Amino acid sequence: MRPRNYQEMLAALQQFWSDYGCVILTPYHTEVAAGTMNPATFLRCLGAAPWKTYYLEPSIRPMDGRYGENPFRFQQFLQGQAILKPAPDDILDVYFESLAALGIDLAKHDLRLVEDDWEQPTLGAWGLGWEVWLDGMEITQWTYFQQLGGFEVEVVPAEITYGLDRLSMFLFDKESVLDVEWAPGVIWGDVYRENERQFSAYNFEAAPTDVLTRRFTEYEQEAADLLERALLLPAYDQVLKANHAFNLLDARGALSVTERAAYIARVRTLARRVAEAYVGEEREAA
Amino acid sequence: MQLPPLARAHLGAEPTDLYLGPRRIAFFVPDLPARTPDEWVKGPPEALREKAAAGFARKHGVSADELTVRDGFLGVEVPGKDLRSVLPDALAALVRGLTFAKAMRWPGVDFRFPRPVRWLLAKLDGETVGVSLAGVPSGGVSYGRRFDDGAIEIPSAQAYVDALREHGVDPDRATRMMHISAGLDALGAWSDPGHVLDEVVYLVESPRVQAGEFHEKYLQLPNRVVVTTMQSHQRYFPLAGNRFAFVANGGDPDVVRAGNERVLRGRLEDAAFTFERDVSVGIDELAGRLGSITFFADAGSYGDKTERVARLVDRLGGGDASREAARLAKADQASELVREFPELEGHIGAEYARLAGYPEAVCAGIEEQYLPESAHGPLPQTETGRILAAADRIDTLNVAFELGHQPTGSRDPFGLRRAAIGLCRLATEGGLRLPLSLLGEDVRDFVEERYENLLDVPVEYVRAARRARADDLGRVAEIARTLATLDRANLERIHTVFTRAQNITAKADGIGEALRTELLVEEAEREVATTLDEVSAALEGAEAVEAQVHAADRLAEPLERFFQDVLVMADDRDIRANRLRLLRDVRDTIEASLGDLSQIPL
Repeated sequence: MRPRNYQEMLAALQQFWSDYGCVILTPYHTEVAAGTMNPATFLRCLGAAPWKTYYLEPSIRPMDGRYGENPFRFQQFLQGQAILKPAPDDILDVYFESLAALGIDLAKHDLRLVEDDWEQPTLGAWGLGWEVWLDGMEITQWTYFQQLGGFEVEVVPAEITYGLDRLSMFLFDKESVLDVEWAPGVIWGDVYRENERQFSAYNFEAAPTDVLTRRFTEYEQEAADLLERALLLPAYDQVLKANHAFNLLDARGALSVTERAAYIARVRTLARRVAEAYVGEEREAA
Repeated sequence: MQLPPLARAHLGAEPTDLYLGPRRIAFFVPDLPARTPDEWVKGPPEALREKAAAGFARKHGVSADELTVRDGFLGVEVPGKDLRSVLPDALAALVRGLTFAKAMRWPGVDFRFPRPVRWLLAKLDGETVGVSLAGVPSGGVSYGRRFDDGAIEIPSAQAYVDALREHGVDPDRATRMMHISAGLDALGAWSDPGHVLDEVVYLVESPRVQAGEFHEKYLQLPNRVVVTTMQSHQRYFPLAGNRFAFVANGGDPDVVRAGNERVLRGRLEDAAFTFERDVSVGIDELAGRLGSITFFADAGSYGDKTERVARLVDRLGGGDASREAARLAKADQASELVREFPELEGHIGAEYARLAGYPEAVCAGIEEQYLPESAHGPLPQTETGRILAAADRIDTLNVAFELGHQPTGSRDPFGLRRAAIGLCRLATEGGLRLPLSLLGEDVRDFVEERYENLLDVPVEYVRAARRARADDLGRVAEIARTLATLDRANLERIHTVFTRAQNITAKADGIGEALRTELLVEEAEREVATTLDEVSAALEGAEAVEAQVHAADRLAEPLERFFQDVLVMADDRDIRANRLRLLRDVRDTIEASLGDLSQIPL
């Protein structure tokens, strides 16, 4: 049945990937800027073990906050993240079926793939792929990872990242995400507008830069210590926290171009070490 | 492109047609030879027949007696094979031979390509040819529109394009371009300042041009903002008023139009929102925030840059409008709109200045500071614009060079070549007086060197002119041009004066430190000395290079007489030293005004 509101859309997509055989996970408990950073993607896509998952990920990008006044941009937006490893030959067709499961009649619309290669310097990662446009609106980012944490992937996965807020605008014919009906009688703005306002104020005005700077170093140190003790999953959490601290410093305007580059390099080094540890452990276990 | 040589190497012929689209790469090769050429495969040298002949022969399935000799080597005749038998591997090798800047792997297939290859099609006339490429499915079908058609049987190589067109897909870029252009023309006046058409033609295989509308209220935004919003991400084409054109690739036209209109509305709303926020901050406040925006690494902030540019504007003779424009020129770097759309820099700053009530001369300066945008693009129209454009470039060049970012042969990440060319054009075409003292030493050389390509004269004239002690950049060009257009006889005369004086003094020892008039014993050398004094004064007083040439010319006859009557290498050491000094002075005096004439090959 075609979803009638936001939460039905979320449920329909999740049901589709569950039927396909994916492991349905929950969002991560630490701030991430994208579903890719969730260990369910970043770590599981390293190594040779096959993996299929789908999960929602509220993605937090402090720079993009607009206090809830902009119809298009938010410092927190929802991604639907699917990983198919290895990428099946017919994976594009499967993706199209997922759109059909949302009630989208693809023959009626103009769907196209627009070349877009993805790169995440903090994770030492890159891949090749597309934006998926539906009648001119970008609704999905599609990537075949080639490298993560500085390592060439052993088994190439397909990452399908749905921009769920954009998708909801498309499905429910709204010009602003804020107006989308979340559940009967409740719109997206009712749920998140105040969130956007307060967190934008936090990101741009109130976040304490000296504390964040100190915390970054503490996270960095703890990550290193944990890696020494072969606790790579808790170590990775520290990397994510460090990355978020960096994003906040950036949003506060506290970083020069040189400093920015230096922070990115520090996060990348940590991500690399975690990736290395993960690949090493997987090999030992095998 | 890569295909012709690859086709020649693997197939023995070059393609006549190339088809590129978002879902396929195809090519058509007519007149393939039915057999590959007979080959004589070279083996070991004849001298090693005893040792090596048997092994080589065995490898090729013949006996040692069947080997023939050519040029001292043993070899075997290998007859050509039927084309059909070699094509599967030859085509695979051809595909593998393609190289791309970025290529990827994908599961189950052992080679790299920009995106996963999902099918291969090869036809030899009406026959399907399998391609043995790493497990990629190969056959005689192609695929058209994703959601309308399934597999399309391709009856023959010759029928490929027609078969696809019958199913609504055009693999030929040129035809698609014609179709799209015609469709756009039919909608009325359209524009493409962002040059997105070249990309759009590769985004679609079933192009259908449509028009849409947006709310008129967005026309209150500066035109550039509307156009950039439309083109930058969405690749739409502005039409008159509140209409726009887009190229669809399928779907129901009404549904697709509605969708695209909605997307554009969202983006225009976003742009308007951002614009309003910038305007409410105001250009003066934006200018005040430049202290925290880095210009580039180690080069300080845009605030620092603004101060330096303001000082340069003063030294370039800029008036109040130029100074004000300099103060505000980079303010839009602190704006949200420029952060979102960097290509709006300058333009939106001018707009914000207008809205804040600054005089048009100031706004025009801000708008024009990034001109010329290319080697042949238009220059700033206003004097303020020119001065600011020059000051900005001078600063960027000086700072970049000081930090060690000189461009190399292949790398110029900061666009310094373009900046230098802009400076040269501002000096010559723009008539701007650009004191060379404003440029760092390395920068000066780098900038002057641009004239070698920019001016329509042989490079030697530029090289000669660069050695003159020109005060301003435009002078270098003027000297080069004047020398290059001199009548031959005139040029030869002063060239001779210069080179004769240079050649004798170049290798000599013991040149006097300063000319001593009491040692000028001969009439001819006194005349040269006197003429040189007059010429020197005339050169300094002359505005135009041409006048300087006339002045230098006056040395020709006296110098001719000098070489006839006077022995430079006199026995008396002091007199010799003095005569060398005289000639050196002649040479140096000419060079100071007209450059190193010996660079010009005559």
